[in-house]
Amino acid sequence: MDIINHTDHVEIKVQLDLYSITVLHKCFYWYGANFSVDIETESDKVGRVRLFPKTEIPVAEYPNLLSKIRNDLIDFKTRDIVSKETQNVRDLLIAKAFSHSDELDDSPPGDISDPVGFDPTAK
Amino acid sequence: MKLHARGIASSISSLIVGEIAHTLTVANGKERILSVNDGYNSAAIGPAAIISSLPFEGLPQEFKLLPSVHSAGALDHLAEGDIVLIKPDGELHTLYRRQSDHNALFVTDRCNSNCLMCSQPPKDRDDIGFFLEINMRLLELIPKDIHILGITGGEPTLLGPRLYFMLRKIKDRLPDTEIHMLTNGRAFAWMNYAELVASVDNPRMVYAIPLYSDYYALHDYIVQAKDAFSQTTLGIHNLARLNQRIEIRIVLHKQVIPRLKQLANFIYRNMPFVDHVALMGLEYTGYTPHNDPLLWIDPYDYVEQLNDAVEFLALNGVNVSIYNLQLCLLPKHLWKYCRKSISDWKQIYIDECMQCDWREECGGLFMSSTRKHSSHIAPMKKQ
Amino acid sequence: MAPLASRKFKPLEFYSSPSIAYYLLPFRFHRLNDSREILVNEVGDYIVAPIDTARRIAAHDISPSESIYADLVANFFISEKPIPDLIDILATRYRTKKSFLDDFTSLHIFVITLRCDHTCHYCQVSRQSEDKHQYDMSRTDIDGFIDLMFKSPSRDVTVEFQGGEPLLVFDNIVYAVKRIEELNRADKRRVRFVVCTNLSNINLDILTFLKEHGILISTSYDGPEFIHNSNRTFSRGNSHATVLEKIGLCREILGNDMVSALMTASSLTLNYPVEIVDDYVAQGLPSIFLRQINPYGFAKKNRMKNAYTAEQFLEFYKTALQHIINLNLRGLFFLEEFATIILSKILTPFPIGFTDLQSPNGMINGAIVYNYDGFVYASDESRMLAEERDFTFQLGHVKSDSYQKIFYGAKAQHIAKYWANESLAGCSECGFQSYCGADPVRHYATQGDLAGYRPTSSFCITNMEIIRFLIELLTENRSIERVFRSWVNKTPL
Repeated sequence: MDIINHTDHVEIKVQLDLYSITVLHKCFYWYGANFSVDIETESDKVGRVRLFPKTEIPVAEYPNLLSKIRNDLIDFKTRDIVSKETQNVRDLLIAKAFSHSDELDDSPPGDISDPVGFDPTAK
Repeated sequence: MKLHARGIASSISSLIVGEIAHTLTVANGKERILSVNDGYNSAAIGPAAIISSLPFEGLPQEFKLLPSVHSAGALDHLAEGDIVLIKPDGELHTLYRRQSDHNALFVTDRCNSNCLMCSQPPKDRDDIGFFLEINMRLLELIPKDIHILGITGGEPTLLGPRLYFMLRKIKDRLPDTEIHMLTNGRAFAWMNYAELVASVDNPRMVYAIPLYSDYYALHDYIVQAKDAFSQTTLGIHNLARLNQRIEIRIVLHKQVIPRLKQLANFIYRNMPFVDHVALMGLEYTGYTPHNDPLLWIDPYDYVEQLNDAVEFLALNGVNVSIYNLQLCLLPKHLWKYCRKSISDWKQIYIDECMQCDWREECGGLFMSSTRKHSSHIAPMKKQ
Repeated sequence: MAPLASRKFKPLEFYSSPSIAYYLLPFRFHRLNDSREILVNEVGDYIVAPIDTARRIAAHDISPSESIYADLVANFFISEKPIPDLIDILATRYRTKKSFLDDFTSLHIFVITLRCDHTCHYCQVSRQSEDKHQYDMSRTDIDGFIDLMFKSPSRDVTVEFQGGEPLLVFDNIVYAVKRIEELNRADKRRVRFVVCTNLSNINLDILTFLKEHGILISTSYDGPEFIHNSNRTFSRGNSHATVLEKIGLCREILGNDMVSALMTASSLTLNYPVEIVDDYVAQGLPSIFLRQINPYGFAKKNRMKNAYTAEQFLEFYKTALQHIINLNLRGLFFLEEFATIILSKILTPFPIGFTDLQSPNGMINGAIVYNYDGFVYASDESRMLAEERDFTFQLGHVKSDSYQKIFYGAKAQHIAKYWANESLAGCSECGFQSYCGADPVRHYATQGDLAGYRPTSSFCITNMEIIRFLIELLTENRSIERVFRSWVNKTPL
């Protein structure tokens, strides 16, 4: 990730295989109150974000801003990973939550017998 | 307190379950004769059996013809109204005591867990039919005004569908009695079984189910059974869906204490519907002495964790009690959660207790505590 | 006693699966401050952990030997199987959190007149002065609305009379209550009545009726006289003195728990957080609801007195809340209602009933507004927009539209796309999603569209900071956690 300070904007360049366009949009959505945000693909490998501040940022604030950008990108990437990896189990969870029958109930795990022999499904 | 005795049987060919109908003291109060009714014998013809401390020759003539167990020792532990099992080998087992609040049906020695601290170590032989027959007869004799009746073992759900029949009989015979069934709850993870047992529909029955950790591996380790945590919690969940009343029991020892607060949190968030949570002092019997290095912690040393868990549950509106711990070990603000929970037949006070002003209010110790107990038991004065 | 050979004891390692790489379960997270972040699972359970924990979890970097591993498994953040064994329990937990939806519309608000004898500069109802009777709900419409209400499946129904000043049409209230009770004889639903009133017109006859029918009073009390009277002008007297006197009368006759007081924060109020709390305590009120002005109606017109930023409100709120917490720590049981609602979501497994913090929002699903003119609205705020000629949220009319059309028609379906924060930009992955809600009407009114724009949304800015603040307090101080739990369980310490 490269962050470059221009006179009137901050430019962030990322590898798209590390930070996808979706991650960039979700991350920089939150900057829209204080910045005009421009997100585009420079090539199919590189994404570019430009933040144009709506009011002037004091120079002393820049380290905080850069640090925030780095943290936010990592956070949104983490969210993206979690979201993708848990999509199926989340769909299943909600389907089960709102199902009115117990059709969707899973069978219990493991063994339950004692050494003598026991089967809870026996009539 | 004795619950068993042994004498010499005469003319006893099969098991007799009967109530002590009448007691007689003879020979200047030194000897006793007890007559037993089994509910089938006709009072006009005479008792179903006789039990006595006397030798056979000392028995009155008319009793010599009846089934009897003689030379059985002092028999002070038996009183009118008690119900006993008489075996052909002369063994006498007390099944029910009229004076006691701590009666329970013992249903099997089998268990599908093997808890590190089990106070009734399992036996792997199929005794279910044997105990079922005894208990079904016992249920015919227990007076209807009995307040509380436990069901214990071993693991009652190993009765399978027969548990349903026993519970039906209990509900029919003792509709006003509180029933506390101690079970690991694992079989109820199978919804068909939960539905069967719940269909007895007894609003007076509580399933008392132990849970030892919020972390599955620790619970499974403590009960020595893989998947037990999942099965037990799913079982609790199913019973709740079927509107059954549930109590969670937590035995306090070294393995449980480090995650006790987390367990309280787990119970509140995932099972807020439970009737009651009981936090229980350890009984130093069964497997416990053998596993002492894994289990023993002086209760005085876990008061802080106990306090956190109790306060957390109470503040969140969960009914909570402390069982089997002595008042002198606990800060006064926890005393209101303490119950006199130790069954009378195994409850004692030790020497230190004799000087204590609070002995009446305190539940005392387990009989087995003479082997090991907290080093902080000390008498307290009432101000 | 040692066990039989077949029952030999096995060590802890035998029962865990340390070599398995874990699977992720759905969770969200948020940085609380420089050192800590909060992780929240799909049913609102939380773990507070050092910064970077979420990243490590997602990178599958947490080792079973770390103490947090057991916490993550036990609290449904990670699983050792692709589908966790306890998924059915998690599903039940989720269903419980959303169970406020089960009964559909349970709060039925009757705006029974627009006439009022007060002039409150933040009024979100465009009240008309006392003598304009065409602003009363007709009896025909009352009948029609009651029929509509009984079509709702909800077994628990709350009928709330609002206005203007409902007691100016007390006869119509009596009519409505009796009609509802009559029709309910067959259904036997649990019906609760509330009258939202400034109390200036209450008298013993009215109180007798209220007592007979178990009707609750909700009134407005803005605190010390100089604040209350600055906000609320009573045409026939001193609003503050009157309302206090009448609150006392109501509590005496109806009982303390039948009377509740609500405040609204005007710009003046924001300068006196401690004074207003102290005043509520002095009046013997059990709680205070520190809520912002809604940006509708007269409030919009009187911007000088009512316009304040989210940041200004937050400063007021946090000061007042700290003061309330200190009072509790010194032994007084007195709670703040907005905090209590959020804390219920954080600290309990149960749902809450406050529409603005529900997802899906409680409009239509939980509450509906029947206007004096026969029109039906999705919420109080929707009604206000119509006064300004914006009928976006007008769902139909009692005389011409069916229950189906009003509650399930095209308008309701359109709003439905925006009333759950699970699917809104900014909210869908927010760490506080479980503790917050969605408010499409407010966003439409203030930002121009139902979805809203989080970065400049005062709803978002305010809620996020209050939630963060509450979490920080609760997790850093055990005494404060106990106070919060006492509020949530309504049990004094």
